[in-house]
Amino acid sequence: MTRRELALIFGAGALAGTAQGRMWSRSVQPGVVGLAEARAALGKPLGPETARLAMAGALAASVGAESGVEAAAAMFSPKDIVGIKVNCLAGKFLSPRVELVEALVDLLAEAGVDRRRIIVFERSNRELQRAGFTIREAGPPYRCIGTNNDYDREPSISGAIGSCFARMVSTTCSALVSFGVVKDHDLSGVSAGMKNWYGVIHNPNKYHDNGCDPYIADVARYPYIRNKLRLTVLDGVIAQCHGGPAYRPGATFDLGMVAASTDPVAADLWAWREIESERAKRGLPTLEAAGRPVRFLATAAKQGLGVDDPEKLLLVTA
Amino acid sequence: MTIDRRRLVVLGAAGAVTALHPSLLRLTAGAGGGSSASGDELPAREASWYKKLEEGRVECELCPQACKVADLERGMCGVRENRGGTYYTLVHSLACSIHTDPIEKKPLFHVLPGEKAFSFSTAGCNIECKFCQNWEISQFRPEQVQAYNLPPEKLVAAARRNRARLTAATYGEPVVFWEYVRDVAIAANAVGVKPTVVSNGFIKEKALREVVPLLSAIKVDLKSFRDEFYRKQLRGELEPVMKSLEVIKEIGVWLEIVVLLIPTLNDSAAEVRDLCAWVRAKLGPDVPVHFTRFHPTYRLTDLPPTPVGSLERAWKIGRNAGLNYVYLGNVPGHPGENTTCPGCGEILIRRVGYRILSNRLVNGTCPDCKRKIPGVWS
Repeated sequence: MTRRELALIFGAGALAGTAQGRMWSRSVQPGVVGLAEARAALGKPLGPETARLAMAGALAASVGAESGVEAAAAMFSPKDIVGIKVNCLAGKFLSPRVELVEALVDLLAEAGVDRRRIIVFERSNRELQRAGFTIREAGPPYRCIGTNNDYDREPSISGAIGSCFARMVSTTCSALVSFGVVKDHDLSGVSAGMKNWYGVIHNPNKYHDNGCDPYIADVARYPYIRNKLRLTVLDGVIAQCHGGPAYRPGATFDLGMVAASTDPVAADLWAWREIESERAKRGLPTLEAAGRPVRFLATAAKQGLGVDDPEKLLLVTA
Repeated sequence: MTIDRRRLVVLGAAGAVTALHPSLLRLTAGAGGGSSASGDELPAREASWYKKLEEGRVECELCPQACKVADLERGMCGVRENRGGTYYTLVHSLACSIHTDPIEKKPLFHVLPGEKAFSFSTAGCNIECKFCQNWEISQFRPEQVQAYNLPPEKLVAAARRNRARLTAATYGEPVVFWEYVRDVAIAANAVGVKPTVVSNGFIKEKALREVVPLLSAIKVDLKSFRDEFYRKQLRGELEPVMKSLEVIKEIGVWLEIVVLLIPTLNDSAAEVRDLCAWVRAKLGPDVPVHFTRFHPTYRLTDLPPTPVGSLERAWKIGRNAGLNYVYLGNVPGHPGENTTCPGCGEILIRRVGYRILSNRLVNGTCPDCKRKIPGVWS
């Protein structure tokens, strides 16, 4: 499906009046994942224009907007403090590309969000630096910092988890973006947008048994995340089908896509499909057969976090 | 000086006075400039108990969680990390909590009464008790707490400077820093300081057998006598803990057991009876069992403190089961804190809280009926 067809389904007026962030309202599209092509070799950056086009295209496609700026304005208010959580555990070769993250920052800024109110963050400065980001405590052109163990002082309980959340999500930010990658995970099966939120709790090591289920959903459904999450972006320019979550030479593949979705479950469902597809091409067993079934998506769907039914997954190309 | 609560707990696990205690300050200065560790700069030593798996993964062989860990990931304890197919402990010599406590605080009531134990901990734990009293160190990762480089020899030297005849690996969970426990024990034994451990006993037999003989005493928290409790309340298992208790007893190192009684969760008469009968049958009547009082904390804040009546009932059940040394804890001033001679019934050691009011033992013997009282008395 194309973005224009999606706009017709949603209704032409669905996004009217939201451009430039003047009348922000939440615009969740269950099951919809916007996709844009972006190709670059492993370790090579995308050109700025390519990154911009891909990011804007995926964003617009995810909500049926005319442009990436319009889509950003539909999701974020100028009053927001926007936290973009990047997953940099795997280092430079398998972390969100700086140029894509910066393209998103630009779109947010053009949609009316003050650059000083946009914070790219990960657990530590070191992880950000290893992935190629420059630490910017105060900006410009945006803030980029590790949470560096600044957690709430008391644990929050959500289902089976009891965790202190990073103050970045509990207190500082009013809106959140999960900016992950598309990769295999040796325990949860897939690490994309939802697993990325393990990086905002103090004790993720406690919650890796049983395929990280129900823990991934329990983290994502806590109000700090659920009420603030506006967007999931997945850098699928280079993906990894085996050997995750660390970077594994030989297990990466050129997926050549950037995905954006207001539905975190659907975004991960797409990532899962792509990983399974590549594994099949390589003659690898399915993730389930390999002993790491992706359980957490069904749990997340049951919790009302999004759509895990492949029949209801709607991929919209830019 | 401003200090947040977590740092305060980390410094002493005992309150503000501890944080400013002169011995602690001396220690910090005396530990070779005790450097504060943070972030990714944690020192790492190859772990002693693990095996390599295919594709760069490892399997931890220290505790029954048996975590299978991929590259760059950590085990459930949060203090052991796979780096390129080699498993590392990140907490050897990285003490985050240090303090000189009375040995009664552990509690080890039959070990050098009234003596000081130089107590230490690192971050991390291999289970997650919803009622953990020390969760601000046990449930955190080493880079998330303030810690100091304190190698075993310097730790033992600090113990001697503080006139502590014992060391105690405690507060957090020593199993997760088992290599450090081992090396401290070796260093302590070399200079006549007695090493002790306070543990959950959730450890694999091989690792247990390699270190316990180095210790003078060990206290194990038997958190319940129901496997369901272990699985639901702390994500562990009962059977490995029972096995550990039997192994410790077999090795012959002095053992005491603590049972934290939590209202409605593990304080039924039937469960306490089963527990006491098992201790009597498998470990013998002379292993002290301490029933201690729960206070709401961490993730278990919706239950009241344990009624003293429940503790007293447990005490009676223990005595009726044939246990010679049953104690009550966290009820300062209660007669259940005292050591009574099972031969003549006279009080031998009178305690209030962690204080010894009187100790009538003579070379570990009751002065009235001459009965030998088991323990580590000299």
